[in-house]
Amino acid sequence: MTEAAYLSMQGLSKAYPGVVALRAANLEVRRGEAVALMGANGAGKSTLMNVLGGVTAPDAGSITIDGSPVRLRTARDALAHGIAFVHQELAMLPSMTVAENVFADGFPTRFGIVDGATMRRDAAELLVRLGCNLPTDLAVETLGPGDRQMVEIARALRRAPRIVIFDEPTSSLTNNEKRRLFEIVQGLKRDGVAIIYITHFVDEIFEICDRVTVMRSGSTVATRAIAETSPTEIVRLMLGEADSGERLADEASSAGPLLLEVSGLCGGILRDIDFSLRAGEIVGLWGLLGSGRTELMRALIGLDPIDAGALRWRAADELRPVTPNELHQIAGIVTEDRRGEGLLLPLSTRANLSLASLRSLLTPLGLIDRNKEEGLAADLIGRLHIMVSGSAQAVGTLSGGNQQKVVVGRWLATEPRLFLLDEPTRGLDVGAKSEILKLTAALARAGAAVLVISSEPEELMRICDRYLVMSRGRLTAQMPGSATRAELLSAVSATPLRMSAA
Amino acid sequence: MSSFGRLATFLLQNGFLVVLAAVFAFFAIFTNTFLASGNLIDMLHAMSPLMTISAGLALVVMAGKLDISVGSVAFVAASVGTLLMTRLGCPPLLALAAALSAGALLGALNGFIVVVLGVNPLITTLGTMIAFRGVGLQLTNAQVERLPEGVRELGNWSVGPFFGDTLIALAIVLAVDLLHRRTIFGRQLTAIGNGEDVARRIGMPVDRLVFVAFVLSGALAAVGGVLDTLQIGAISAYLGKGLEFNAVAVIVVGGVSLFGGRGRILSSVVLGALMFELIRNGLNHLGANPYAYRLVSGAVIFAAMYADALKSRVRRAAVGAPAPGEA
Repeated sequence: MTEAAYLSMQGLSKAYPGVVALRAANLEVRRGEAVALMGANGAGKSTLMNVLGGVTAPDAGSITIDGSPVRLRTARDALAHGIAFVHQELAMLPSMTVAENVFADGFPTRFGIVDGATMRRDAAELLVRLGCNLPTDLAVETLGPGDRQMVEIARALRRAPRIVIFDEPTSSLTNNEKRRLFEIVQGLKRDGVAIIYITHFVDEIFEICDRVTVMRSGSTVATRAIAETSPTEIVRLMLGEADSGERLADEASSAGPLLLEVSGLCGGILRDIDFSLRAGEIVGLWGLLGSGRTELMRALIGLDPIDAGALRWRAADELRPVTPNELHQIAGIVTEDRRGEGLLLPLSTRANLSLASLRSLLTPLGLIDRNKEEGLAADLIGRLHIMVSGSAQAVGTLSGGNQQKVVVGRWLATEPRLFLLDEPTRGLDVGAKSEILKLTAALARAGAAVLVISSEPEELMRICDRYLVMSRGRLTAQMPGSATRAELLSAVSATPLRMSAA
Repeated sequence: MSSFGRLATFLLQNGFLVVLAAVFAFFAIFTNTFLASGNLIDMLHAMSPLMTISAGLALVVMAGKLDISVGSVAFVAASVGTLLMTRLGCPPLLALAAALSAGALLGALNGFIVVVLGVNPLITTLGTMIAFRGVGLQLTNAQVERLPEGVRELGNWSVGPFFGDTLIALAIVLAVDLLHRRTIFGRQLTAIGNGEDVARRIGMPVDRLVFVAFVLSGALAAVGGVLDTLQIGAISAYLGKGLEFNAVAVIVVGGVSLFGGRGRILSSVVLGALMFELIRNGLNHLGANPYAYRLVSGAVIFAAMYADALKSRVRRAAVGAPAPGEA
């Protein structure tokens, strides 16, 4: 390539206490070119973009724009250098109008009074250029997600930026809206704008990007021209070549009776999900971020609404219809968000362990029996090998792995027959990961059905008896526990060119 | 949509106006004296201090914050102004300036605690509500302090048929409404009420704006305190007591969301204050038990809040539905 890069980020590093977020990351974008930035969760994409947006100050590294070095200390600096950000979580002000939202970062005024007429006219003009005809005095809260995205884009493009960052712009869009967005990106490219396009959807980048830079663990591990790479190669670069570690559980030779049956589940991005879980079985829900794997788990327990479909759960030896809310009561749930799922960090390990089963600890007077509580805590601490100085130690002072064990332990005390695990090992060290995986295997041996999500195939390969593969809100394949890493990777990167009938 | 559905929607969107008209009609029919022109002018007079204070508070609420110290601020500011005149012989204009400055200063203190120290606004102003009243009680020794001759007459100043303070209060509410709807400051306050994080991400100086809103709230509380003192002709230990909750009720009943970012200040403050004044005044004319006022206004607040909850439920349902042009 002969043309010099318009934006060049070189050797950027950033460390937070205990975590290295960026390790000498490099990124170059030329005028009129869209570069895809890909990477698994936590790969450092957000940090890198926050550096470019002036939100995060890097520890080392340099940024040049159009050949001259720049320092981006604040969001205003970034704006002044022609950098615009289309945020993933839309930065919308719901009760305010379309025009006000477009101009929220700088209202036009005349004699100190906001010039509503100019604002509406210019906003309308911008939106028409984006190919959409929204009334500019409509409150944004009355718009659908696609139109909101357009408002956000209009705001970003208002100052005629030279560099535009799209952060997962299509995650909430319908097919038509996505087409419209792609046309906008193509238009920007024709105008010579440098574009950074972040997405989890591998197929999209082959459609509108010219090059792809892949990040992993804070480093930019590879840059390829789109024409010279393949979806499988990109997924392989994103996930790396980690060794899989030995298998921790034999494949269940004969699974037990059917426990949960899901048929025709639709809701949010989920379409026609059918599957079933058997007692004693560990099923890996495998898919890239944005495939709908977390959404499926949330829909099962009523955290996201379901539009259609049926759930049936085995109670008293037969499958009976069950509501997501009831399933929420039945299931043991562990996610990567240890705080969000209800660990009370300032409280003792004991209090956290007993929280889900306080009813069984009551004295006849309705008070909590401290001896029983201590007995329960001691038992779980022993069984799960939780490393604590004593059951009174505050959970907030435990390591991540031990905190996660407390979460699992809390559920163990209620003896659930269904476990839903969403990235249960995220952020844990290798040893703690193995322990959590062993624990998962033990849960299944004890007769529970386990549905587990992980971004790391080698982790799933150590415990799963079966895989459900998800892509774009659908179950696209089922694979046996003997599937190889390569098979798993190609299952999610072979993008079925299905135009979903939205 | 069925005609019943349309009626329901209309009532939901304009329920407050309907109730206001009904209350007005009720008292007009069932009392002989309520509708007299003198009484209407008296009502506008009586609600002036409350309107002024509510207008300032509305700015803070628009940003999603709360200031329940306004009653105590009004008390301290009025005390400072009055005592300067009676004990030190200050000229009235200087005393007025001192009262307003005192209000702004106390507002700034609230703003400082909220913005710099990061204390929750409700807790902050609950504390300062108690503390400021203590300051005022100490200044006045909890005694009634009459305004000096020559100043007291200002309480009866009128322009045409209206009392002067009615016009001052209306002018202030109009100005605050303009500030809210038509200036960058106002739009940014609304943006903060919509989502503080979003406003920050867009690059708005959130802390500075919230601080200024508290200062304005304090200053306008002082104006309200001064108007109230002029009406009575003296300050007493009870001045402004409970006014903070009346002010919250006024703007909320009028349609400003306590979560911030929604509502029109002009109509909320004027109609909200009018509603409570109608009930108070009308019940008087009806010869009702004076304590009935509290029960009735409580019921009105509840009804308004329930309508608001219904409205936002409808709004949520509308947002959850597929966007136009899809499907």
